[in-house]
Amino acid sequence: MSAQSAVTAGGAARRALPASLLVAVLLVYPFVDRALQTQTVYAVTDAMIYVVLALGLNIVVGYAGLLDLGYAAFFAIGAYAMGLLNSPLFGSPLHGHWWSFWVIIWVSALVAALFGVLIGAPTLRVRGDYLAIITLAFGEIIPVAIRSMGDITIQVGSWRPIERLNLTGGENGVNPVGRPYFPGVDFDRDAVPWYFLILIIGAISLWAMNRMQDSRLGRAWMAIREDETAAGCMGVNPVKTKLLAFGLGASFSGFAGSFYAAKLQAITPGAFQFSVSIMLLCMVVLGGMGSLKGVILGGMLITLFDRILLAQMTVGVRAIGRAVGSATLSTLDLTLWRWFFFGLGLVVVMVFKPEGLVGRRIRPPAADVDDEEEALVLAAAPPPQAESIPAWLRERVAARAESAGQHPILEVRGVTKTFGGLVAVNQVDLVIPRGAIVGLIGPNGAGKTTFFNLVTGLMASDQGEIRLDGQSVVGLRPHALVGRGIARTFQSIRLFQNMTVLENILVGEHCRLSASVAGAVFRPPAVRAEESQARTRARELLEFVGLGGEDDEVAKNLPYGDQRRLEIARALATQPRLLLLDEPTAGMNPRETETLTEFIGLLRQELGLSVLLIEHHMEVVMGISDRITVLDYGTRIAEGTPAQIQRDPKVIEAYLGKGYEAERAAV
Amino acid sequence: MSQTDGTLLELADVHTYYGNIRALKGISMRVGRGEIVTLIGSNGAGKTTTLKTVIGTLRPLKGTITFDGQRIEGMPTDRRVRLGIAQSPEGRRIFPRMTVLENLELGAFARTDRENVSRDLERVLGIFPRLGERLPQKGGTLSGGEQQMLAMGRALMARPTVLLLDEPSMGLSPILVETIFQIIQDINRQGTTILLVEQNARMALRVAHRGYVIQTGRIVLSDTGAELLRSDVVRKAYLGEK
Repeated sequence: MSAQSAVTAGGAARRALPASLLVAVLLVYPFVDRALQTQTVYAVTDAMIYVVLALGLNIVVGYAGLLDLGYAAFFAIGAYAMGLLNSPLFGSPLHGHWWSFWVIIWVSALVAALFGVLIGAPTLRVRGDYLAIITLAFGEIIPVAIRSMGDITIQVGSWRPIERLNLTGGENGVNPVGRPYFPGVDFDRDAVPWYFLILIIGAISLWAMNRMQDSRLGRAWMAIREDETAAGCMGVNPVKTKLLAFGLGASFSGFAGSFYAAKLQAITPGAFQFSVSIMLLCMVVLGGMGSLKGVILGGMLITLFDRILLAQMTVGVRAIGRAVGSATLSTLDLTLWRWFFFGLGLVVVMVFKPEGLVGRRIRPPAADVDDEEEALVLAAAPPPQAESIPAWLRERVAARAESAGQHPILEVRGVTKTFGGLVAVNQVDLVIPRGAIVGLIGPNGAGKTTFFNLVTGLMASDQGEIRLDGQSVVGLRPHALVGRGIARTFQSIRLFQNMTVLENILVGEHCRLSASVAGAVFRPPAVRAEESQARTRARELLEFVGLGGEDDEVAKNLPYGDQRRLEIARALATQPRLLLLDEPTAGMNPRETETLTEFIGLLRQELGLSVLLIEHHMEVVMGISDRITVLDYGTRIAEGTPAQIQRDPKVIEAYLGKGYEAERAAV
Repeated sequence: MSQTDGTLLELADVHTYYGNIRALKGISMRVGRGEIVTLIGSNGAGKTTTLKTVIGTLRPLKGTITFDGQRIEGMPTDRRVRLGIAQSPEGRRIFPRMTVLENLELGAFARTDRENVSRDLERVLGIFPRLGERLPQKGGTLSGGEQQMLAMGRALMARPTVLLLDEPSMGLSPILVETIFQIIQDINRQGTTILLVEQNARMALRVAHRGYVIQTGRIVLSDTGAELLRSDVVRKAYLGEK
């Protein structure tokens, strides 16, 4: 254990050294290059353009998990925004000033972001393969549109309001494009200023992304990637979050595109083909999706391999060819084989390191604790205690429970849901008094989970009324309901698998935090304070449910029982008034079940939390429910106290079975 | 109640890792021909890992697994299935977009005696008449209990010598839990050896001939089902009795 902490302490110091070394190398490199006359600065500058693009794409693909096959479209939009606004061709008033480039680069980032949102909007409902196809289409549409808008004629009958209008330069593109101006710097003939300019753009992009990644917004993106449904049920607005990913992701291509247009001084639609989108995607995947370091490495490797290594290798191979007298070798052009080498490289990396060269940080599992001495009775963790309830949870949940009026916390009247011909939930009434635990039981397939989905907004009911604390909540989306105080867990645990334990809780706090995009990037004191309080709350909550010290463990590495507890803790992090638990003790042994039952009782008793519980373990339901509703074939067949339900012949026949009675008699 | 006539499946000092985590730390256990043997323990103790190591979706780093006199620890899963091991996995894992009939037929995929498959289909539908009513329906549209029956039925279609059952009662209503345990005993009486992993330790020990208690990757106790049910430690640690 002590050896391990020594390693982490030394880690920070050891990381600082290579970082400063890297900065030194980046600063000195162009001058060394000039002195040695290797003339690689131009290629490295181009590589960095692609790195910025790949970083932007990484937001969409790596963080938000939205497969985008047409990212080159945004590159084109960024480049054309600069081209059209900063070229004498179209008489733009912005052209020709010393500040033109410096202003327009921001404008084109904004334009690209706007298109990101526009193009993102119709894709919101689709995922995976479908999303990939739609973005592929956009990637094709944009260059074609740019080509065709070079020659627009509109004719209505014999009236031609627009004749041969040239908006984009068509196939010939835009030429010339204005260059940046900065006193004392020669952007006309020298490659070095361009190198430093893209270095600065890259550094700022990286800085901004690094901060976004580790913020309320970054966590929301990753939650959407991991499980969109669960993210919605934790208070993340999926529409807003995905549009932000598209918009912000595109904005970086606005910077890169502007720079590209100005550097080349000319742009043509041919530069933004499908192959560019694919190459960018290769960079992200090769380097490691979601890892900034990986994406930079992937971008650099692919571009430099293409621009420098292949050319050098061609020279080398030809020299060998001449030496051995082989005509084939001496005329070989390896640059024509670039896609072959990219493909081969990608296949090799995916076979040996499927997570990419630099996969997302995943802490190696904790050292193997030797527990030879562990006593058999320690098999289950002790139940959480009242005194370990975090003060903030007590304050926020209990206070809200008390402050409210006389309405029941949840009042459902005549709710119905049909799937095709099947009536899954049929005219069901259910009332949860404030601070009560209500059990919902019934045979498998009776409609219990569907009922949960109706109450939490995952499905829209066909008819009926749902009131939370007296207010109708019909039609609200899941994230909005979380804001109003409904939290849930899922029958088959739905954690954000590849996020850490702490991040899972922080996503739960999403709707109680307010940091915006700008806040996430610039981190004013208010955001810093909010973030650090959120983390403190999360740690206290983990401590309370018995997961203290597991903060940095990836959720999927937790044992099953801990995953269940984490899911409940995540629901509590939303600061709910009503907690819906869908089979919380499924897959637990009787001892663990008992511990969890005590825990649920504790939440009600100490926090005044109201609970709706689906459960098949009768000792749980009968033990802690104030009232029980029984569903069968979507219809309520009984409602009453546990004692009444246990004796109800209809319930015994449909659900409990004669054996349950016998067992109860035997105990 | 012993129906043992020799060892069918034997694990000796099996160590299995999940990445860097040592999940099994030297498991040794024996399943006799015709027995129901249950493995109980808390979450994360290594029950499912043990079953996965037997069927071959996880490979042991050390130790031997002998099935019917053959060493199998190095074999791929499909060969083990051909030898006569079948599993009904945790969480059912049925093929949701295929019909119930297709799911069942796939259970017999590895068999060479095609002529007997239709007889086994009848047998499975005899055990689970509910599945017979739903043959053309997509697996994913079944209720939780029906999916559990389908997973067991699919495993039986392989006509296994030993059936590995991972949490067959999970998520089932009390009435169905009873039914499932009755079916487990019926299948066993018809000659199939069963290795059963269950959280419902009380029910499992009641139907099992013998049981093993596993804790953090080690077997800590083994005895007949009835004796384990009476054991103080088991009652306290797993049955939740004071």
